[in-house]
Amino acid sequence: MTVLRRRRRLWTDLWQAVLALCLAGIFLLPVYWMVTTALKTTTDTFAVPPVLIFQPTFEHFLAVYTEGPVLKSLVNSLVVATTSTALAVLIGAPAAYVLARFNFRGKADLWFWIISNRFISPIVVALPFFLIARDLRLLDRHPALILVYLTFGVPLVVWLCVDQFRAIPREVDEAARVDGANLGQVFFRINLPLAMPGIAVAAILAFITSWNELMFALVLTSTEARTAPVEAANFMTGFGIRWGPMMATGTLIVLPVLLFALLVSRSLVRGLTMGAVK
Amino acid sequence: MQTPSWRRFGILMSTLLMTALLFSACAPAAAPAAAPAAAPAAAGGEWSLEQAAAPYAGTTINCVFLDRPGYRAAIELIPEFEAATGIDVNWEIMPYENSREKQVLDFTGMTGNYDCILIDVVWIGEFAASGWAVPLERFYNDPALADPALNLAGFFPILLESFGTWDQVVYGLPFDNYSGVLFYNRCMLEEAGFDGPPATYQELMEVYGPALTQDGKYAYALQSRRGETQSADSFMRVIWPFGGSLLDENFEPNLMAEESLAGLNFRQELMKYMPPDIVEWDHDETVQGLAQGNVAMITEWSAFNAYFTDPETSKIVDCIDYAVEPAGPAGSRPALGGFSLGVSANSSPEKQAATWLFIQWVTSEAKSKDYIRAGGVSGRMSAYEDPELQAQYPYFEPLVVSWKEYGNPVFRPRFPEWPAISELIAQTGTEMMLGSISVEEGAQRLNDQIRAILEEAGYYSGDRPKLQ
Amino acid sequence: MRHKFRVNWPAFSLIAPAIIVLLAIGIYPLLFAVNISFRQYQLTKQYLGTGYVGLQNYITVFNDPLFWESLLRTGQFFLLTVPLQIVFGISIALFIDSIRWRPLSFLLRVLLVLPIAVTPTVVGLIGRLLFNRDFGLMNYLLGLFQIAPVSWLGEPVPAMLTIALVDIWQWTPFVALVMISGLAIVSPDVLESGRLEAGQGWNLFWHVQMPYLLPGLTAVLILRTADILKLFDMVFVLTRGGPGVSTELVSVYVQRVGFRVFDLGVASAQAILLLLLCIVLSRGYIRLFYREVEA
Repeated sequence: MTVLRRRRRLWTDLWQAVLALCLAGIFLLPVYWMVTTALKTTTDTFAVPPVLIFQPTFEHFLAVYTEGPVLKSLVNSLVVATTSTALAVLIGAPAAYVLARFNFRGKADLWFWIISNRFISPIVVALPFFLIARDLRLLDRHPALILVYLTFGVPLVVWLCVDQFRAIPREVDEAARVDGANLGQVFFRINLPLAMPGIAVAAILAFITSWNELMFALVLTSTEARTAPVEAANFMTGFGIRWGPMMATGTLIVLPVLLFALLVSRSLVRGLTMGAVK
Repeated sequence: MQTPSWRRFGILMSTLLMTALLFSACAPAAAPAAAPAAAPAAAGGEWSLEQAAAPYAGTTINCVFLDRPGYRAAIELIPEFEAATGIDVNWEIMPYENSREKQVLDFTGMTGNYDCILIDVVWIGEFAASGWAVPLERFYNDPALADPALNLAGFFPILLESFGTWDQVVYGLPFDNYSGVLFYNRCMLEEAGFDGPPATYQELMEVYGPALTQDGKYAYALQSRRGETQSADSFMRVIWPFGGSLLDENFEPNLMAEESLAGLNFRQELMKYMPPDIVEWDHDETVQGLAQGNVAMITEWSAFNAYFTDPETSKIVDCIDYAVEPAGPAGSRPALGGFSLGVSANSSPEKQAATWLFIQWVTSEAKSKDYIRAGGVSGRMSAYEDPELQAQYPYFEPLVVSWKEYGNPVFRPRFPEWPAISELIAQTGTEMMLGSISVEEGAQRLNDQIRAILEEAGYYSGDRPKLQ
Repeated sequence: MRHKFRVNWPAFSLIAPAIIVLLAIGIYPLLFAVNISFRQYQLTKQYLGTGYVGLQNYITVFNDPLFWESLLRTGQFFLLTVPLQIVFGISIALFIDSIRWRPLSFLLRVLLVLPIAVTPTVVGLIGRLLFNRDFGLMNYLLGLFQIAPVSWLGEPVPAMLTIALVDIWQWTPFVALVMISGLAIVSPDVLESGRLEAGQGWNLFWHVQMPYLLPGLTAVLILRTADILKLFDMVFVLTRGGPGVSTELVSVYVQRVGFRVFDLGVASAQAILLLLLCIVLSRGYIRLFYREVEA
């Protein structure tokens, strides 16, 4: 009896393991294929049937490295995404705190208005922003992108942090007020540290979204401030696609984010699902 | 009475001019070899690149380049220019598909990133009329900047005219030059019993098509992906040989003309001898198709030759051969394309002068052979008379014949409205090929749309001269 | 007892930066776009000037079948992807929930994060590689089952399927993650008593677990709707809207009119209409679902 049951359990486990492996395979395959293509010679890339075991070559990475613009674009992406995320937190977190703590007329509308920025298609903003940035002489410079990325950064932070601040008991605030702290101090010294987990989640999401963004970057940058996704899109040409360097570039863009995402996967899952399940 | 004397005068003048040019052409070509940057200022009055560039040493200029052989060739030559002049030449490689947008955004966004701009044959009207490109006479009439060996008349006239000149003003010097050429796989043709390529499109369809399309191989591929590839390489390529045209002599859209429709219907029928997903084929797929031995013939830009002769990218190194594009009922009308380099109006005067010196140098007769050896296709006539180069590059012959005899400067109109029209043709043209709209419906729709664009631009009201 | 209107300045100063920034980069550009949408604004035809043309641009948009077709196509894309994402997402969530060996379920959950984090532009590039007709992995795999090669990117219907498949690959994990956290709310007691009443399998899922998934499901619908109306990068790189116009979703089309044809006037009018649609949809969704937040 117990032997039979144990055996059935074993089968279930085995069956589940196989299915899990298949799932993992499906979700990892495209990324795996990108990385291996980046390491294949051009001849191996075109081989039919596909070559699975091959002598890896770093020529494509070397080509990407010596040609230069990809590295520069990665630095640009890093600068823009980091600055924009920091600003979004700096601007969004206090707003979220106020929305969580105070009641005032029009609060619901204000909240809705801030959040609704997340639903606006970037093309709606990109068109006029191009002309505005032109008049301000901000085209092809970091500030233009940093600013425009706040259109999704700030709402994201507000959305995810309101709950976080709500979870902090009001008594904490009141105790501090009794000790003579003003609102700013209450927020920055007490609430902000307590809300860090939620803020981190929002910051991670805002960073990844900025890092991955293409439409604004395509319109607002050209040479100097060009970001990594634009550089990647540039490989798509009708006149001789260089698959190796293209996939090497893709790898350089994606791998850091993936490693980062793995490191903080717990927070990331929370961030992705927090708005969804209450 | 008057004509003969005028003619005689003309002959006299042109002889004089030629002699002068000949002399001046020889002088600087020899100079650098004799005295490499030793004391350029010595002979007062004699022009030298070093001297002309002296005020601009240390200037940095940015060029718009594509990822194509002609640009890689220029990149190989650039260090020589930098060493001679002290001018830093930077380049930004971008895909052709984005290059017009990038430049337009740079011109209209006042970012001034690009000094040395790239002018496609179909952009010259737009760039010139919008004031984005500087008329080059400012430089070639300036003795301090103009190389006496410049010799504008040494370019193939069709090239300088079509992608350097707009409304009789020169804006760019031909740099990356193309003619459509019939590339074919001689081995495949011989195997099927042909001892030469088809001379006419009719032959291609009726004889070569059925014989060469089998076992997953196709007789012909016509790059047709939506974009300039569809409108220029595919759509216009079938209109002209059948006697059709985009516009008639009164500037009215002419796609509903019998000849234009015949060309488009021909293309539709010819698709049965092309790969099934031809509508998604861009240059890359088409060149690959021939190079990998899957397609027997393609009509592609001359610039692709390097792909077929390099064993690393081609399986048909020993089989590649060339001919002039097949003729239609109206004769052979090969595709004409290419780019000139121009000077951006947004750049500072110093950068503009430095840019001019670079353009003048890289397109010069003196450098033309080096440029060809590095993989470029020069626009200089003299380069193609070199027997050694002729032997090395067998595709020269159809190329030169196409430029000299069949050159069609309005293969695509060059007026500022072309990019908008091209966008429409690219869309409707692909829809036609996919069968989601009939040829006649599509042609009618395009006619209406094109007329609306030209109407709005003021061509019919007489507000604007009818320039192509 | 209502208070008289009184401004709490310290609180206001904390929320003001957000309001100012969003006014500057959210509202001002919008007003700017509205302004442009009433003008002739063709970047490459400056000789035409930039005068006001009344409703001309809007009339152009209303009479432009391509715009409406691209919207319709976006709707089709939604119907092609979201239902499958939900079905697969729930299935994966139930599967992971049923795994008893902890490390395995943890590993799977971590893996689910990866597709979401991959840059969509790069996803498009990978798509070009996998769906290449001649040497792509997809056709090779099909070939193992004796299926003739498909020209995925070369014909209208396969091309639409391609971008849909890629979207499903990237966003099913998101749906799964949301569903997993929904399932986590179901307490063991509820589950146990549910087992007694409804038995195992489908009945258990439908009557006991499903109600807990509904909020997440609504959220998924909202977010996916907004994302698909915005979807640009992956399609731009993978098909550029082609072949023909068969994968030209609305964002791709508006971008083309704005930054290829450079008719900013018409493009702005299109963008404004798109914005109205976004507002109507998101307002509806948010009112429907986030009611308690506003209380």
